[in-house]
Amino acid sequence: MSFEFYKPSNIKEASELLKNPGYVAVVGGTDTIVKVKGGFYKALKALVDLNGLFSKEIKVEGDKCIIGSACVMNNIAHNPVIVENFPALAEAALSVAAEQIRNVATIGGNVGNSSPVGDTIPALYSLEAEVNIVGGEEKRTVPINEFITGVGRNVLQPGEMIESFAIPMRKTKGAFQKLGERKALSISKINLGLSYWNDGKPHYRIGMGAVAITVLRVTKAEEFLEAAPHPLSDETIQQAAQYAIETAKPITDIRSTKEYRKQMAGVLLKRALNAIKN
Amino acid sequence: MNTDEKRISIQFNLNGHDVKTEVLPGMTVLEMIRRNFKLTATKEGCGKGECGACSILFNGLPINSCLKLAATLTPSDKIVTVEGLADDELMQRIQKAYVDEGAVQCGFCIPGMTISTYSLLKKNPKPTMDEIKYALAGNICRCTGYRKIEAAVAKAAERGEK
Ligand SMILES: Cc1cc2nc3c(=O)[nH]c(=O)nc-3n(C[C@H](O)[C@H](O)[C@H](O)COP(=O)(O)OP(=O)(O)OC[C@H]3O[C@@H](n4cnc5c(N)ncnc54)[C@H](O)[C@@H]3O)c2cc1C
Ligand code: FES
Ligand code: FES
Repeated sequence: MSFEFYKPSNIKEASELLKNPGYVAVVGGTDTIVKVKGGFYKALKALVDLNGLFSKEIKVEGDKCIIGSACVMNNIAHNPVIVENFPALAEAALSVAAEQIRNVATIGGNVGNSSPVGDTIPALYSLEAEVNIVGGEEKRTVPINEFITGVGRNVLQPGEMIESFAIPMRKTKGAFQKLGERKALSISKINLGLSYWNDGKPHYRIGMGAVAITVLRVTKAEEFLEAAPHPLSDETIQQAAQYAIETAKPITDIRSTKEYRKQMAGVLLKRALNAIKN
Repeated sequence: MNTDEKRISIQFNLNGHDVKTEVLPGMTVLEMIRRNFKLTATKEGCGKGECGACSILFNGLPINSCLKLAATLTPSDKIVTVEGLADDELMQRIQKAYVDEGAVQCGFCIPGMTISTYSLLKKNPKPTMDEIKYALAGNICRCTGYRKIEAAVAKAAERGEK
């Protein structure tokens, strides 16, 4: 297969290139190169290398934590701000693939790939993250739950890229749970991110992946948990798990069946709630 | 190879030397080090990021060279393959431990295994068995059943303490 390769020296140039049909952005390449080799891109004209254009850093700015889109999984998983405040995201990043992939796989690529099984996505839902988008000179911000619109589809227009993610700065407790064939190097059959914080009243946010074309929020369980007496009883947790099962709308595919996934939605929520209980 | 395809000149540091070469747009770092530089210790197993046979150090960290495009390399990037660690005390200790423990059968996975082992012991000279397993989770071996490989890593760590 013949295609071109471009290494734009600034965001504006990258944006102009990406307006062309068949031009695909690449950063870590762990999704893109597998797809190129597998012949997934039928009309691939060029790869556009975004390495060096976006920040790899994590920093706190005012009331937000900003994660550059080029930040790799291993850096997210071990960053003190993330570990301290957003454990659901730290655990999700640590669960991705294996060491060699986590050293190059970026959060921008995980979200940009927009797969319903991307592991950081449910965690970002649970943390009410926002996606900062840049296209040439224009910028806009979209809540994570409005960013992904279908399997491999998102709101990015030709020429737009993910610059960073913004997470409201607050101390959360949280957990990330996933089921795969084995611990390392396995794509989730189902995954779940849970975050909890208390600002005078309890807040629960639950994102669940691989149970629909995009990640789902389990709002019924969230509202139920917020109204329930604390500490949570086993019955409360059981009822919340039931809501997760009802919310899940999975399909059967090569990785799992829809019946199994539905049941496991409940199990994962139970595990996550038990993990943050102390 | 299609000769009218666009060739891209790149510069980077390979095993301690600044080098220049020409690559095609879709060429991976794995293909480049094997073809352009004839460094064949690094192996292609799956070509998809799943087996770790192609592991190299990229700016000091292990990555799968089968998924990294050569054209993305820049002059400040440092690549180290097993060949580049031939005289390294830690790598020699690891290789000897693999041999002593009988952890090498066909050998295909070993360059990648030893790169992952090297990276682990560099930052964590006394790993627990769980830490060893975790660090090697991205490397598949079809022959040994892993026990001897884990024992070899533990032995290399133990010998380093003296
Ligand atoms: C063996 C293996 C195991 C894996 N295991 C897991 C796993 O356990 N969990 C998991 O979630 N994923 C897994 N993945 C998938 C992949 O590693 C992740 O999705 C990773 O985060 C992608 O990041 P990247 O930088 O490599 O993306 P790339 O491949 O460079 O890009 C991915 C997509 O995002 C787009 N993109 C990248 N950056 C931007 C940006 N800044 N703006 C707009 N679009 C952008 C690209 O155009 C492309 O469509 C695995 C992959 C492999 C090969
Ligand atoms: S050849 Fe690169 S991981 Fe298998
Ligand atoms: S020794 Fe043969 S694959 Fe590991």
